[in-house]
Amino acid sequence: MVSAPAAISSDSQTTTRMSAGNITFFPPQPASPASDGPGSESRAPGLIEIAGLDFYYGEKKALDGINLSIEANRVTAFIGPSGCGKSTLLRCLNRMNDLIEDAGIRRGSIKIGGADINARGVDPIELRKRIGMVFQKSNPFPKSIYENIAYGLRIQGFKNKAEIDSRVEASLRNAALWNEVNDRLHDNALGLSGGQQQRLCIARALAVEPQVILMDEPCSALDPIATAKIEELIHELKKRYTIIIVTHSMQQAARVSDRTAFFYLGRLVEYGGTRAIFMNPSNPQTEAYVSGRFG
Amino acid sequence: MNFQTQRTGRHARESIVFALLRAATYAILLCGTLIVGTIAFKGAPVLFKPSFPFINTTFLTSAPETLHVFEYDGRKMELGDREYRAFRGKLAADAAANPHSEIRIPHSEQSYVYSAGGIFPCIVGTLFLVTGSMVLALFFGVSSAIYLNEYARQNAVTRLIRLAILNLAGVPSIVFGLFGFGLFVIFLGWNVSLMAGWFTLAFMVLPVVITASEEALKAVPRGYREASLALGATRWQTIRKSVLPYALPGILTSSILGIARVAGETAPIMFTAAYVVRDQLPWQVAKLGDFLFQGVMALPYHIYVVSTKIPQNEYTERVQYGSTLVFLILVALIAAASILLRNRLRKKHQW
Amino acid sequence: MKTRSNETAPENEAAATPPPDGTNPGAHSPFAGSRSPLAPDSAQAVRRSLAARGIRAFFGSTALVSLLILTLITIFLFREGLPFFGASQREIALYRQAGLEYIDILRRAETGHIGLVRQLSDIRLRAFQHFVETGHLAVSDANARLAAFDNFADRFSDAIGPVRGLVSDIGEAATGIKTRAAVENDKAIQRQQLLDAGKASEAGQIKIEPVDFQKEIKPILDTLPACRDALRSTADELRAILAAAPSFDGRSLAARMETFQKRARAYIAALPGIENELSGWTPSEPVRWHASIVSFLTGREWITASFWQDWYGILPLFTGSLLASLIALAIAVPFGVGAAIYTSQVAARREQSLIKPAIEFISALPSVVLGFFGIAVLGELLRSLSQSPWLDWLPGFPIIERLNALTAGCLLALISMPTIFTLAEDALTNVPRALREASFALGASRLQTTLRIITPAALSGIISAVLLGFGRVIGETMVVLLCAGNRIAIPDFSAGPAVVTQPVHTMTGIIAQEMGEVVRGSTHYRALFVVGMTLFILSLAINYAAQKILRRYRLPSA
Repeated sequence: MVSAPAAISSDSQTTTRMSAGNITFFPPQPASPASDGPGSESRAPGLIEIAGLDFYYGEKKALDGINLSIEANRVTAFIGPSGCGKSTLLRCLNRMNDLIEDAGIRRGSIKIGGADINARGVDPIELRKRIGMVFQKSNPFPKSIYENIAYGLRIQGFKNKAEIDSRVEASLRNAALWNEVNDRLHDNALGLSGGQQQRLCIARALAVEPQVILMDEPCSALDPIATAKIEELIHELKKRYTIIIVTHSMQQAARVSDRTAFFYLGRLVEYGGTRAIFMNPSNPQTEAYVSGRFG
Repeated sequence: MNFQTQRTGRHARESIVFALLRAATYAILLCGTLIVGTIAFKGAPVLFKPSFPFINTTFLTSAPETLHVFEYDGRKMELGDREYRAFRGKLAADAAANPHSEIRIPHSEQSYVYSAGGIFPCIVGTLFLVTGSMVLALFFGVSSAIYLNEYARQNAVTRLIRLAILNLAGVPSIVFGLFGFGLFVIFLGWNVSLMAGWFTLAFMVLPVVITASEEALKAVPRGYREASLALGATRWQTIRKSVLPYALPGILTSSILGIARVAGETAPIMFTAAYVVRDQLPWQVAKLGDFLFQGVMALPYHIYVVSTKIPQNEYTERVQYGSTLVFLILVALIAAASILLRNRLRKKHQW
Repeated sequence: MKTRSNETAPENEAAATPPPDGTNPGAHSPFAGSRSPLAPDSAQAVRRSLAARGIRAFFGSTALVSLLILTLITIFLFREGLPFFGASQREIALYRQAGLEYIDILRRAETGHIGLVRQLSDIRLRAFQHFVETGHLAVSDANARLAAFDNFADRFSDAIGPVRGLVSDIGEAATGIKTRAAVENDKAIQRQQLLDAGKASEAGQIKIEPVDFQKEIKPILDTLPACRDALRSTADELRAILAAAPSFDGRSLAARMETFQKRARAYIAALPGIENELSGWTPSEPVRWHASIVSFLTGREWITASFWQDWYGILPLFTGSLLASLIALAIAVPFGVGAAIYTSQVAARREQSLIKPAIEFISALPSVVLGFFGIAVLGELLRSLSQSPWLDWLPGFPIIERLNALTAGCLLALISMPTIFTLAEDALTNVPRALREASFALGASRLQTTLRIITPAALSGIISAVLLGFGRVIGETMVVLLCAGNRIAIPDFSAGPAVVTQPVHTMTGIIAQEMGEVVRGSTHYRALFVVGMTLFILSLAINYAAQKILRRYRLPSA
């Protein structure tokens, strides 16, 4: 990180500020040439717009008035202590929470590409086809490496063998796994190492060409080398995909993400450019967390 | 972006398949309900009656009798054996006292075995069989589970024991019957007796009890044991004071449910404990030894006898459905009792 | 302290004094190890450690009970069952020595002929119906039209006369020999018993005259030329009669007559074979050592308490058990697995909490109650249902016998359903959540996820559930005893799917039915134990296979 301190301070100004108890929403600032952050940030309306979101597990409120705008082709990190609701929010984005009984959104909306994903008539299955997800624990199907990736394609209605073959190869290449497994595509995926399994899961998500990839602590079960590989991969992928990553590791958030959202007790405490959040957090709770005093 | 459904066929296919699966599920439940319903519907008139005390006490408290059906005075009479004899005796006495009257002693035109009276000895016999085998099975089963879960380490012997338990669970009940017959009835010379039935049934449910008990013991948090041991208690004290009381509700419920199930088994007691008919009740014995070594009548066996071994006609239906309903109720009561017992124990030892 | 009761003693002591290191069975635990520095040496400690060992030994011994039972089952089944093979071997030897086998060869000519005669009377019945119903003839006219046929049929049926006469003549001689051998054998046993009891003088009074089979069988063997003549004359006569067989105008009747003629000619052609077998037969040829095992395992007949010869072939019972079980599985697998999939994947939690106890409740229905339901309701219900005209297309409908493999199979299905359901549901529920989520996250629907990911992942569990369900039904006794119809015969599989409506007998049923009536120690009694052994081994094998599949294909818990 070789950015000048000045850039950092200017980044802090664009940080969406809110106190833990306050649920007012500061809309993303209109497009202004941002000199901060890596790359060129634009302030166009985000790809994903979350407004006033309340989420409940039964009677327990898990998310409280979340307002968040996530931009396309960026890596956005969700950080915060356990139980802060970051994974819940992530799973709201592809409606995985639909699978949990008695859980659901009571208020607020999520729009992706301008469309409300919880609107009547929205098919969560169509939604999930465009929003890929990678889980905390690698979860390859007990099938061959090839079949793991082909599964999603078949679900999408691909029938042509040659096309499936080429897509499998392409996504394995994109996930930087091709060179390691191209000679054993038809071996059981459970024979791969933990890091390879996780990259396979990423490849599986890539194969169906989603617009957004959600990553739920994708490296928490991996060793540092495997983690480094995945982080490298994330850097590659953000050229083409919008990536949202939930992580426990603040170093990881700092390394891979462009923007960071800090959650605490179901509330979004602070959201802004990653460097600003880490170097110059505006909220004392954020500061306490990123400096390791709790969490 | 558009997240509307793209292919409309998918929803329809999905709901059809799920509806089929659902239909299969409820078809099973319907079958069970129909069977119980039929038996309850046809058995209820035998067991209950419209006037006080609403329960057919004769059926529940007397022994099976032969039913005599005959015509007398132009009326059709249906009398049980004892009543029939009394009736004839009275008529004979009347005739002797009144030589000139035209009292004719009717001859039994039709008699139907077991179709009159009740099933009291069968109920009693079943209760004795179930209680005895329950005590034995709980004793052996819970002790085994304690050993396996609290004392034993993983080694060849425990693996062998677990293998035996697993395999024992799959042995057909009739094979247990043959085994009980070979070992208890013939080899040990116990003859067809309560004891032979107890052991046969107990051995048969042993796998169920052991498995249930082990699960209940496993559910007691490790911390309880460690806390007790850390206080200087011995292993046995720990088990007795800090493990068993908490595991007991679980042990009792699942075991007794299992036992209630095998109490319904007929095959194992056919050659080991059950008599087709026996006049004495189990407690009508001279000494304790006789009590243990007597055969008894048992409800499931009685149902088998009255539904296959005797000629079928309109009069046998009464005892068939009546016995079956009583048997079902009995099994349900045993299960209910176990659940009540569990609830009481739970209240006592909350955790 | 001295006045305290024995019962509380060990506890108090235990609390006061920890055990010396090494004598405590729990010494491997960190708690035991941490006490060792205290090193008490009182007599109390020794006593208490003895008590601890005693308690441990007590529980250990009770744990061995299951092992013991399994061993005892094996021992007692084999103890009572294995002598069957010796006894059966002797019976088969006697069967040959007394000439029964010889007569059975000859009798085959008779049985074949009976089959043909039966076919003739069937043809007559159809011809008569044809004349009366479609030809509108009066009964007397129809009979008159059939006079020639009747004449033919009578002559055909009488032609076997010489053979039948021979069979009954030498049959008596052979059973005579057999009875005498049995009497002498009984005497020998009685004498042995008396000798064992030390009553030598009484034993001496029993005179045993061993049967001289060589001499006794002579008259039977001497009938060979007569047999030959009888067979040949029968063949000649049948051929002559067939040559003058009447014919029918009706197409189907003519065709039937044609098949009859074909069969009759084949029968006649087979008669010289019987003749050859008769001349080649020697009573002194020793019975092969495995004859009894072969006759048990492959015997197609289970005939007991016969004046002629008892046969203990397990095939009719085994096929009967198998047929009833397969019918049960054919019903129970789709329903049970379907319900398991529904309950674990589709049903809401509240619905689950209705379905699961209900199925538990079905599994608690005593089998004798289900059997009674079959005999009292279901058998009749199925039969009357089968008589409705719009179900006519189903194989085997209308059902003739009220109690048959199908009736039993339906109820057995209900018995195996809870087993299959519970285990399959467990297997499906235990498929890691992560797989489910991964599939959903790729945009798969619930149906796709269930059918393509979850069910395959749980397949080993489902298969082992089905296997255990199979074990459950093949070992089930009361339902088949009450509802299967108890006809001891191999079901006629040539009937196609209609075979399911035939009455069968089963391995479990035969034990339950005949055990109470046999003479202890007789061959029949032992045969029942061997059937029990077969069941036992079968159940162990099924159990083993189920465990093996479960373990082999279990998902690695990722």
